[in-house]
Amino acid sequence: MGLIGSYNLRSMIVRKATAAMTAGGIAMVVAVFVMTLAIAQGFRATLVASGSPGNAIVLRKGATAETVSAVLRPDVPIIESLPQVARGADGRPLASSELVVIIALPRQTDNQPANVPVRGVSPKAFEVRESLAMVDGRRFAPGTREINVGRLALGRFKGLALGSDVKFGAASWKVVGVFTADDAAFESELWGDVDLMMPAFQRDGYQSMTVKLADPSMFDSFRAAIEGDQRLYLKPQREQDYYAEQSQAMTTVIRVFGTFVTLILSIGAVFGAMNTMYAAVAYRTREIGTLRALGFSRIRIVTAFLAESIALALVGGVIGCILALPVHGLSTGTTNFTSFSEVAFKFRITPALMAGGLIFSAVMGAVGGLLPAIRAARIPVARALREI
Amino acid sequence: MKFINLVLKSAKRSKRRTLLTVMSVAIAVFLFASLRAVLDGFNAGAEASSSTRIVTIRSTSLIFSMPTSHAEAIKSTPGVQDITWANWFGGIYKDPQNFFANFAVEPESYLRMYPEIVLTPEERKAFLDDRTACIVGDGLAKRFGFKVGDKITLQVGIPIYGTQDYDFTVRGIYTSAGAAVDNQSMMFHWKYVDERSLVKGQVGWYVMQVAHPDQATQVSMAIDQKFANSPNETKTDTEKAFQSSFVSMFGNLNLLLGSIALAVVITTLFVAGNTMAMSVRERTTEIAVMRTLGFPSLTIFLLIAGEGLIMSIVGGIVGVTLARVVVNPDVIPTGGFIPVFGVNNTNLVTALALSALIGALAGLIPATMASRLKIVDALRRVA
Repeated sequence: MGLIGSYNLRSMIVRKATAAMTAGGIAMVVAVFVMTLAIAQGFRATLVASGSPGNAIVLRKGATAETVSAVLRPDVPIIESLPQVARGADGRPLASSELVVIIALPRQTDNQPANVPVRGVSPKAFEVRESLAMVDGRRFAPGTREINVGRLALGRFKGLALGSDVKFGAASWKVVGVFTADDAAFESELWGDVDLMMPAFQRDGYQSMTVKLADPSMFDSFRAAIEGDQRLYLKPQREQDYYAEQSQAMTTVIRVFGTFVTLILSIGAVFGAMNTMYAAVAYRTREIGTLRALGFSRIRIVTAFLAESIALALVGGVIGCILALPVHGLSTGTTNFTSFSEVAFKFRITPALMAGGLIFSAVMGAVGGLLPAIRAARIPVARALREI
Repeated sequence: MKFINLVLKSAKRSKRRTLLTVMSVAIAVFLFASLRAVLDGFNAGAEASSSTRIVTIRSTSLIFSMPTSHAEAIKSTPGVQDITWANWFGGIYKDPQNFFANFAVEPESYLRMYPEIVLTPEERKAFLDDRTACIVGDGLAKRFGFKVGDKITLQVGIPIYGTQDYDFTVRGIYTSAGAAVDNQSMMFHWKYVDERSLVKGQVGWYVMQVAHPDQATQVSMAIDQKFANSPNETKTDTEKAFQSSFVSMFGNLNLLLGSIALAVVITTLFVAGNTMAMSVRERTTEIAVMRTLGFPSLTIFLLIAGEGLIMSIVGGIVGVTLARVVVNPDVIPTGGFIPVFGVNNTNLVTALALSALIGALAGLIPATMASRLKIVDALRRVA
C-alpha cells in the first residue's frame, strides 16, 4: 500500500482546486446533516433531562400531557401517604402537587406571543427535583405572589428580569429568583405557589403530582398501589419515561426531515464526487497503465481509487463537522405540541453525532468513487500505455 | 446564435459528466423548490387571512376561555358588523396519532363569516338542522375515508369536556376557497359540546367582521378596553396576527429552512463549478487553437459561460418538474400540519431563476480562465 497510497495522496494534492471543491460540496452536506440532527438531539436531551430516574409523575388516565390532565384535591393525601413516597428531613412526604397553565408572553426575538408554561408547585418541589438550583435571587416564599423563572425562559421571553412584575391570571407576580435545571424543560418555565395560582386561574384541582420514590426500584409497587385503588382515576409513570414520550413526536419529525433533506442533498454531492473521480481516472490513464504493467492487481487499483475518494470525502466530512460546531450550545426554541407550550433548548452536537457525520461522508465518498475506481481497474494495459 | 451548436457539442463531449452535473443541479433545484413550498405552505394561512376579520382571545393565553356574555358586549362596539365564536375541542379520533384540528363553532354565524368554507345549500341546511352534525374538510375526508352520513366518535382530549365520548354525524364535506381555512379540519355545533361541558357558556375565541381594514386596530382596542381590569381580560388582533402566532410556534422556520436552502445552493455551486473547470482544463488545447484562428476572447468567454448556463437551466427544469409532481398532498401526507402544500408558480420561477444563477456563477471562473488563456503556453502544453 506504501507506493500506491502515497501516489493517490499526492495526486489529490496536485488537483487541489478540484479536490477542494468536491470536499466543499460534501462538507456542506455533512454540515446540514449535523446541524439538523443537533436540533433533534438538543430537544430530546432537554426533555429527557427533565425526568429523574427516582421520580414518578401521576396524571389522569389517558392524559398525554400535564396540561390536559386533572388530579383532584382528595387524591393528594391518598398518594402522599403511600409508603413508597420518600420522606424529607421533617418527615413530610417529598411530593409536589402541581398546576401547569400556559400564558402568552412576547418572545425576545420576534415579539410574537409564545405559549409559556407557568407551573404552580408545592413547597417540596425543590426537594423533589434536585437538579434545580437558584443562580440569581432566591426561591419564592410560599403564600406570596412571588415567582421564579427558568434561565432559558429569561433569555427567550420579554419582561422576566429579576425584580420585574409579570401580569397573568388577573394578578401581578414579582420575579424574585432565576433557576437552572441542567438545561431541562423546567428552565423554560415560571414557577410559583400552587395554592395562589389555583384561584388566580380559576381552577380547583391539580393537574399532576410528582413524587420522589423512597427507592427507584419501588416504582412497580407504587404503580400497583395507585392502580389498585378504586378511588383514583390516575396513572403513574416514571418521570423519565413521561418526558421521553413527550419528546418523541417532535424528535421523530425533525429526524425524518433532516435525514430526508440530507439524503437528497447527498445525491448531488455524490454526483460531484463521481465527476471528480472520473476525471481523476481519465487524467491518469497512463499512470494506471504503468501501475498495472508493474504488476499491481486490479483489486489494488480499485481499492486505491476508492480509498482516494473516501479520503477526499472524509476531509469534506471533517470540514462539515467544523462548520457545524459553532451552533453547538446556541439556544433556540420550538413548541412541544403534546403540552402546547414552548420549550427553549440548545443545539447539541455530540461526539456520536459527529461520528455519524463522518461515516456519512465516507459513505458518500465510497458511493461516488466506486464506479470510477472500477473503470480505472478495467482499463486495458496496452491501450492505456499508448495514450498520451 | 450560430454558436449554439458549438455549445451543445461541448456539452455532449462527455455525456456522463454533463448528465451528472445536470442531475446535481436538478436535485438542488428540487430541494430548493420543495423547501420554499413548505415554508410558503406554513405561512399561507396568515397570508390569505382576511384583513376585515379580527380575533379576540383571553389576554392570558389562548388556552383560557371567556364567558358567552362577552359576545353581547363586543357586538355593541362601534364598527363590529358581525360576530361568531368557536372553541378548540381537541378531541382524539381513535388514537392521538390521528391528530387533526376539531372545534366547536356557532354554526350559522361561522359559515356566514367564513365564506371560504364551501358547502352545497343542502349540506349547509343539513349541518345547521342537526345538533350532532359535523362538517369535515375534503382533505380530512380523504385521509380517513369519511363520507356524508358517517358517524365519527371523538374521545375527549381536554378534561373540561367530561369523560364520555362524543358522537357526530357527517352532514357535509366542505372545500376550501382560500388558504385562510384549511381543508383538514372538523367543525361541529358549539351548543352540543357546551351542553356536556363541565363549565357552561365558555368560548375560546371570538371572530368579528369589521367594515374596513383600517378600522381593525381601532375596533380591537375598543374591544380590549371594554374588558380591561375584568377577570376575563381580552386581547384582540387581526386574523393575520392570530394565524402567524401559530406559525411562529414551530420556532424560527424561516432561519432553519433558509440556511438549508443556502447550503443546497452552495453545494451545487461547488459541484457545477468544479465540473465546468474540469471541462475547460480538458479543452485547453482546443481553446488555444480557436484563439489562434481568431476567435476573440469574449466569444470564448460566452461559449463557456453559455455551456454552464444551458446545463444548469436544463437541470433546473428537471428539478422543478420533479418538485411539482412530488410535493403534493397526494404523494406526501402532511396530516394537516401544513395547511397548503404544493409548489406554486412563484416557487417555480424562483427555483428556475436560481438554477440560472448557479449556472452563471459556476461558469464564471472557468470562462474567465479560458478567455485569458495564453495561446503559446496552452499550445505547448500536453493535456
